[in-house]
Amino acid sequence: MSNKFKLSKYAELFQDIKASHIMTRDVIVLTPEKKISLAKELMRINKISGIPVVDQEKHLIGIISIEDIIVAVEFRRLGEPVRNMMTAEVIGLNEEDTLSDVVEKFETYKYGRFPVVDDGGVLKGIISREDILNGLLEKFNILYVHDKKRASTLNTEFSIITGETLKFEEAEFHYTIAVNDIENAGTGAALLKQFLLNKGIDQEITRRVGIVTYEAETNVVIHSKGSGDVYCFIHEDRIIVQVVDNGVGIEDLEKAMKEGYSTAPDYVRELGFGAGMGIPNMKRFSDKLVILSEKNVGTQVEMIFFLS
Amino acid sequence: MKVKEMVEILQGEVLTGHSRLEEEVSIIGAADMMSDILALSKPRMVVVTGHTSPQAVRTGLVTDLMGLIIVRGKQIPSATLELAQQNNFLIIKTQHFMYSCCGKLYAAGLRGADEQQI
Repeated sequence: MSNKFKLSKYAELFQDIKASHIMTRDVIVLTPEKKISLAKELMRINKISGIPVVDQEKHLIGIISIEDIIVAVEFRRLGEPVRNMMTAEVIGLNEEDTLSDVVEKFETYKYGRFPVVDDGGVLKGIISREDILNGLLEKFNILYVHDKKRASTLNTEFSIITGETLKFEEAEFHYTIAVNDIENAGTGAALLKQFLLNKGIDQEITRRVGIVTYEAETNVVIHSKGSGDVYCFIHEDRIIVQVVDNGVGIEDLEKAMKEGYSTAPDYVRELGFGAGMGIPNMKRFSDKLVILSEKNVGTQVEMIFFLS
Repeated sequence: MKVKEMVEILQGEVLTGHSRLEEEVSIIGAADMMSDILALSKPRMVVVTGHTSPQAVRTGLVTDLMGLIIVRGKQIPSATLELAQQNNFLIIKTQHFMYSCCGKLYAAGLRGADEQQI
């Protein structure tokens, strides 16, 4: 396979994506005294081609790859400890490395995956080509993520889309959404729209911001069973809106994305909501949209509107 | 067409936004679902609806509607009227049912967002 990554020329676009944002945190590891036959079985069962080797404190001390297994099979060494076959000089990544550093590693060394360590050499995760692809998709496209790996970024104060720091306390606009207050749903959106108009933001954009914030706010009131917050950040070239709640999360985001799918109760439908248009509308009127959700943790919606 | 002509056609009653009677109306929509209004409305549109809660006005304000036509002579909550009044948002009440209301406006030459001449 010669699917070499030809991404280096775009590297600076991705400087704000860190290795820790895209890595898989749930890593299968081995300790050095384990038998090579076990490594072979773990690779076969999990369909992976390499396993990091760590000591008792999870310090990365080596990596054993499928190539090492082939050699072990050839020389009938499967019964020996992993220590004897592993590569001890591991080419790894630091969790603070940027996506361009990551891409460079893939281009320089022909490995399929790189372990990620912290400054103390403790294994934090692993990055495969697939993780890079996800990182890029996240940067470029609307992406709907609903898995455990990304849930670790829920309720943290950086942009899900660009990775830049967005401190809630520094938001230009903040509105607290009350629990189950359906009568007032949309008030935050109306206030935000007026706030942006007063700031001299273009009417077409303030309308779109109003619409998607209205839908997001209504979702918090109807579905989350928790409280939430609307934050807005105005940058030179874009407006970022985050709607964050601590509620029940979205059970099935794939379905929620489809027009016409709704789990809203009847009393909500009587108020003219629950037509299953909420998330599709948010997608339609924002330039970029990411929804992170984990059951019983909450939901975080981030939307970007470009000003040019 | 001016707002006041539309009011005449519907034998309607202007409840809020009296200062807008001379404004020009060009597109009409009809919906009870707020999400449909959010999705499909156009700025300065007037929407025919049976929905009377403050949500209807809030949705209208967010989407830059000119106002609402409330059908079937429905009782409109005071909270709805207050919100509309504060924002000079037009509310017209008519005794006609939604279908007849739409038919009369269409017959008078008003078109929907899908047929609007650009």
